[in-house]
Amino acid sequence: MRRSSTVMPVTSENSAGHVVVRLKGVRKQYAETAALDGVSLSISAGEAVAVMGPSGCGKSTLLNMIAGLDRPTEGTVEIDGQDLGSLNETGLALFRRRHIGMIFQFFNLIDDLPALDNVALSAQLIGIPARQARRRALELLDELGIAGRKDAYPAALSGGERQRVAVARALMNRPALLLADEPTGALDSRSGDQVMDLLIDLNQIGQTLLIVTHDQHLATRCASHLIELADGRVARESALERVE
Amino acid sequence: MSAVWRASRAAVRRRRLQTVVIGLVVLASTTTIMLASGLLDAATAPFDRAFAKQNGAHAVVEFDSAKASKAQVEQTARRPGVEAAAGPFDQVVIDFLRTTDIPEAEGPLTVVGRVDPSGPVDRLRLLHGRWATAPGEVVINLRSAAGPPRPGTLGSQLRAPGVPPLTVVGLASSMSQSADAWVAPAQMAALRPSAVQMLYRFTDPSTEEGIRAGLEAVTGGLPAGSLTVAQSHLALRKAFSSMADAYLPLMALFGVLGLLVAVLIVANVVSGAVVSGYRHIGVLKAVGFTPNQVVAVYLTMVSVPAAAGCVLGTLFGNLLAEPVLRAAFQGIESGSAEIGISPWVSITCLLGMPLLVLLAALVPALRAHRLSAAQAISAGSAPCPGRGLRVQRALGGTRLPRAVSLGLGQPFARPGRTAMTMAAIVLGVTTVTLTTGLTSTMLAFGAANQGAPTEVGVRAGQPAFGQRAPALNDRQIEALLRSLPGARQVTPKVFVDVRLAGFTQRSAVNFQRGDTSAVASQIVQGRWPAGPGEIAAPPSFLRQRGLAVGDQITLQLNGRQTRATIVGQLMNGDARFLWSTWPTLTALDPGTAADHYEVQLADGSDAHSYANSVKAADPGLYPAVSSPGDLATTTVVGFASVFTTLLIIVAALGVFNTVLLNARERRRDLGMLKSIGMTPRQVTIMMVTSMAAPGAAGGLVGIPAGMLTHRVIVDTVGVVVFPEGMKDVWHAPQLAALALAGVTIAVLGALVPARSAARMTIAPLLHNE
Repeated sequence: MRRSSTVMPVTSENSAGHVVVRLKGVRKQYAETAALDGVSLSISAGEAVAVMGPSGCGKSTLLNMIAGLDRPTEGTVEIDGQDLGSLNETGLALFRRRHIGMIFQFFNLIDDLPALDNVALSAQLIGIPARQARRRALELLDELGIAGRKDAYPAALSGGERQRVAVARALMNRPALLLADEPTGALDSRSGDQVMDLLIDLNQIGQTLLIVTHDQHLATRCASHLIELADGRVARESALERVE
Repeated sequence: MSAVWRASRAAVRRRRLQTVVIGLVVLASTTTIMLASGLLDAATAPFDRAFAKQNGAHAVVEFDSAKASKAQVEQTARRPGVEAAAGPFDQVVIDFLRTTDIPEAEGPLTVVGRVDPSGPVDRLRLLHGRWATAPGEVVINLRSAAGPPRPGTLGSQLRAPGVPPLTVVGLASSMSQSADAWVAPAQMAALRPSAVQMLYRFTDPSTEEGIRAGLEAVTGGLPAGSLTVAQSHLALRKAFSSMADAYLPLMALFGVLGLLVAVLIVANVVSGAVVSGYRHIGVLKAVGFTPNQVVAVYLTMVSVPAAAGCVLGTLFGNLLAEPVLRAAFQGIESGSAEIGISPWVSITCLLGMPLLVLLAALVPALRAHRLSAAQAISAGSAPCPGRGLRVQRALGGTRLPRAVSLGLGQPFARPGRTAMTMAAIVLGVTTVTLTTGLTSTMLAFGAANQGAPTEVGVRAGQPAFGQRAPALNDRQIEALLRSLPGARQVTPKVFVDVRLAGFTQRSAVNFQRGDTSAVASQIVQGRWPAGPGEIAAPPSFLRQRGLAVGDQITLQLNGRQTRATIVGQLMNGDARFLWSTWPTLTALDPGTAADHYEVQLADGSDAHSYANSVKAADPGLYPAVSSPGDLATTTVVGFASVFTTLLIIVAALGVFNTVLLNARERRRDLGMLKSIGMTPRQVTIMMVTSMAAPGAAGGLVGIPAGMLTHRVIVDTVGVVVFPEGMKDVWHAPQLAALALAGVTIAVLGALVPARSAARMTIAPLLHNE
């Protein structure tokens, strides 16, 4: 991937050391069960953090809190300096548009739209005219090496290609934070490697990254920092040596 | 508990809202169909039942006794084509004075001499008292047996000039309407009979041609002109259902609309349940359900609410039927027919509606049958790609806000479901258009029917009924009413029962003089009677007797007769009543005085003050301020509004259901769109837009369909001939408002599920396949 302005995050205070994610005493209670129990952590701009842990430890709940898709029962979530608890549903949606990009294990592309329009969608939602949005989407697909598949519908794309389209869509509005939920979980090893390379490249050009995964290999390849969760709490935080 | 029932119960629980939608739709549709088929049944069945019970006469024939002897007439009973016959009976027409409070016992009555009420034909039903067995006794035919009890009428006396007084000893009912009164044969000589009556049952009575052939057979060989009157049972049957016929097109239409909507929505619900439940179907098959069991699960899922809705709908239909039938059979000569809905209507609805629902559900349920477990599980809830993709793509390139363009594209992704939703909207808009038109027509009709807004009716007191007689004579009363402050128009009138030569049915003529009648504006063909021998008639009168404007009839009263020409056709009216001029009455009976005076007041006059002045001027005058309102208008407008509301609710529920299914199917898409920043408002806009477009299209189709249906209905109502002005009710603002009706139905139906989709918790959807 080329280091171009197309994929560079442009969020206001993106300098190294600036805290992009800050959680303080976050607790999420579902009936009798605490999915998260007093989680506090911070992620600085340009960092690539992997969150790992066994099933049911609260990884997805943590991701939902950071993405503003769910609200904590207690504690605060601050993203790029904004306390998400102070925003209503519309405010959260508007904030996500500009500041957060998300990629998922199962891609979550719209089957009725071709790759190009799936990517352009996020820009069109913030009011960018269709022609301009499609131009930028094409540039992104080009950067990610799948411009030739711009007119293909999701059903006609391979798993790796679908995830690249999903990454392009997540990067469309140059978010401060890119969240990835098991990004290689549904891919074969070759496609998985391609996506990992892509995430590494993005991080190297300054994209802050939070990856939730079961995959130790993905964590050690892409992340510089590891947070391990157990029973809804941060069990361990450690620095990682990236493995090529 | 079987596995199928367990799985069905779970499916019903999981789809509570859709279960409620199916229940409501079936309830509304069953109620509508119950009313329509109930009215259809009541229009003929009670008459046929009572007619058959009495072995009614297919033809009541009157022979001129001066031309054919009794012996000759008696031989006609053995002619080919005659199944049974009764008679000959002596017959005479006597003009009785008003001496009782039995309306059926005044004016010219056809009196027949009969030994008893039984016999092979026209077995009369004795309602009160006993049969006339001795001279001086009479039995009166009640035109409607269902009226209130009249215990005081037995023993009262009928009087007419030149004949002995007759004491009422019984009240009977003849479905053949063979006579107005019966006496013992020994009495007839004193009444000087002029005709002989025969009652026939023919072997082919079902058509006019059959009746005509039967009559030709019985009159063959008789002297020319001996048959003077022949009344077919088909004419009586037509008269019985004449009012109900006015309601039938409307009710039948609403019934059909209700049925269509129910089928569409049930098919839509089950289709949606199958499409969104692919994974569920796969799981059921994977755990060992056979394809037939899967179909059974889906059919049971819809049967439960359908059965509940059907039972409740049948119940409501029966409850609503009572006022509808009361309105439809008001003033009808029903004889001893018991007007009501046959049990088969309820039974058919109870069995037919669930069956129809199951058939509607069967097609989509068979899709579940065909799907293999692997195919179903792997398909998940993802829609098949490739449908309407070009449209989606084209819309994505427009300047429209993305939420709007995505919403506009959605209907193309599910063309089958969109078609069904559109059909529901088209039916809804058609109904709204039709009802709006009918309401406008009926309101105009009601206004024309009521005449001027302020009206006072003044009756001359009748000492026979315990009232005080007026001190003034007819002409003096008219002069008084004209002189009182506020009077603008005064129309003196009197209803006189007359016989029409050649017809056995009685008629009452409303003879009027003075200012133009308030009903003059209701003439739709020809003109209002102005001179002697001129008559205006309602369409039902003309239709039943096969007459038209320009035809001549002979009026008979008290042994006198006069020719009259039908110069105008009224918009509507009771088939028994005619309107004519005072000089026509003078030709028949110069001594008759008006007994009722219609007064139109000048603008700003107080009707009650005027009425008080009348009462003060002559206590023998009984003024009454007419109250506005017209039963037919109120009934049609009322029921059209009820049905429209029901059908709009049903159409909106159809849309509601479609949006709900779309939201369920697309919940992962919605979750993704929200994750990339689509606001709840944009989600609502997208979902509502996805329904507004089919709504607008449905409106464009529904409006002309509704206008056409309105025209068909107003042209089909036989008892009313609407003038063109009353049919032409569509104006630009109204059409513009109607054009919005489809969109409104769609938006109303879509709003709640759209808002619910906007609030949907999306986090779990995004992390799982």
